[in-house]
Amino acid sequence: MTSLALVRAEIRKLTTTKLPWAFLAVLLMIAALDAAVVAFGTDMGGSKAFIATPTDQKSLMAFAFNAMIGTALFGATAAAREYGHATVVPTFLTTPRRHRAVLAQLTSVLAAGATLALIGQALVVTGVAVALRSTQYGFMVPAPDLIQLLAATTLAGGVGAVMGAGLGAVIRNIGGAVTSVVLVLFVLPPLAAQLLTEAAPWIPTSLFAVISGTSRDVRLWAALIAVAAWALVPAGAGLVAVQRRDVV
Amino acid sequence: MLPLNIDHVTKHYGKDVVVDDLTFTVAPGRVTCFLGPNGAGKSTTMKILLDLAKADHGHATIGGTRYRDLRNPARAVGVVLEPNAFHPARSGRNHLRIIAEGAGIDPDRITRVLDAVGLAHAADRHVGDYSLGMRQRLGLAAALLGDPPVLVLDEPGNGLDPQGIRWLRGLLRDRAAAGGTVFVSSHLLAEVEQLADDVVVINQGQLVASGELASLQRAGITVRTPAPDELTQILQLAGATVHAGRDGELVVRGLPIDKIGDRAQAAGITLHELTPMAGSLEELFLDWTGTEEATAGGAPAAKDAHTDREAVLL
Repeated sequence: MTSLALVRAEIRKLTTTKLPWAFLAVLLMIAALDAAVVAFGTDMGGSKAFIATPTDQKSLMAFAFNAMIGTALFGATAAAREYGHATVVPTFLTTPRRHRAVLAQLTSVLAAGATLALIGQALVVTGVAVALRSTQYGFMVPAPDLIQLLAATTLAGGVGAVMGAGLGAVIRNIGGAVTSVVLVLFVLPPLAAQLLTEAAPWIPTSLFAVISGTSRDVRLWAALIAVAAWALVPAGAGLVAVQRRDVV
Repeated sequence: MLPLNIDHVTKHYGKDVVVDDLTFTVAPGRVTCFLGPNGAGKSTTMKILLDLAKADHGHATIGGTRYRDLRNPARAVGVVLEPNAFHPARSGRNHLRIIAEGAGIDPDRITRVLDAVGLAHAADRHVGDYSLGMRQRLGLAAALLGDPPVLVLDEPGNGLDPQGIRWLRGLLRDRAAAGGTVFVSSHLLAEVEQLADDVVVINQGQLVASGELASLQRAGITVRTPAPDELTQILQLAGATVHAGRDGELVVRGLPIDKIGDRAQAAGITLHELTPMAGSLEELFLDWTGTEEATAGGAPAAKDAHTDREAVLL
């Protein structure tokens, strides 16, 4: 079958359960929370200095790392549940060349993760923009910065989803896959940064700060390559594991 | 016309030999039932045939081609393997849509197969709300989606009501009559007796019997003698398989009735009875697999499957 047909089938798998809708609901909640912070929150001195400049507003809205976490959980759940529910069996029967099935799944979660992240970022921007009307500050982030923010978050969503799907394919158990995402994104990076100072700019939070334009720790192209590696290493491990394993 | 060939297939999981040098053929145009006790290696054999598991030795082909090399597997082979290979929150119709989309099958087939398996009324309900029988019907719908000439079905009758079993029997017989290859594993021996043209029986991963069911049912001979041990020894030396029956008689396979009589006479052993058996499949199955002893004694089946296999191949 054509790869496009396989990707379509994988996207239908994602859209015919409640998983994306659950993540969308979480994104709405995050956007509402951000809006509430802007509308009602103050800093220690009781002022709203935290939204006083375009840079402050941009930093507040920067959603890339959050998107990566969310979509990594999404990708891990989507891939691991295939094994939990044994729906991988009809998939491999239709596509016995398993690398094609895995690549189709990775493509579909990449698209879904990127879309969810873009929607999440758009919701956050909209929520903050609306909430800013209730303050003395207007929406100050210039359009090019806004586009950079949206692009960085979309990328983060895709990267996170692919990373999660790779881990899900290796672990094959939703609980284990989610735990591994938490370890890879929350435990491993700070640990690496603590043990090796040079590693600090290469952890996802630092890299997405660079890609979102809120930091210049490393060059943009280097950050893009490093971020891709964070996704491709687990995805590659998943691909190899699925190829080698029996379906039992 | 696509025969299935299992050719010297061996599969280990750790130190356990799950399938042990298994060789048999499933002919097109016939219904072949695959029998064996739990853990005999039936599902593993099917998974090897379908490239879901890798054989350590040997290979399995469908019409001479490995499953992974088939041009469009979903159109060539319909499979029921896992009874619960569905996402519970997905509707039956969407489950089939996903398979059809991935395999490039006309979506119109979905409604047709749902009608055929009697699931049209529940097609848009979540699979999690289905009964076991309904899930089995959905699995069959998925197997029939590509209208394949080969069906490989693992326990397809599980959970089906009597009407469903009857419908399934008719479907499989029709498929075989149309030249299709139908390979079905089942524990419902009474159903197998009504359905199967041929049977393949395995135990502990080894082939213990294969061939036309009717011939196999006639293949045993009952012998009564006051010297059972002596006769058993003589017949085993002649290549026969000999078991003690339930009433003290000997059940002999692998040697024609006249040869048994001749050998007994030559040894000077008196025979009180020498009759061809027409055993039920259940009796044969227990005889082939030693399951009864295992159940009674609570120990693993201790029968020498190798001897049985030789008997069948004779």
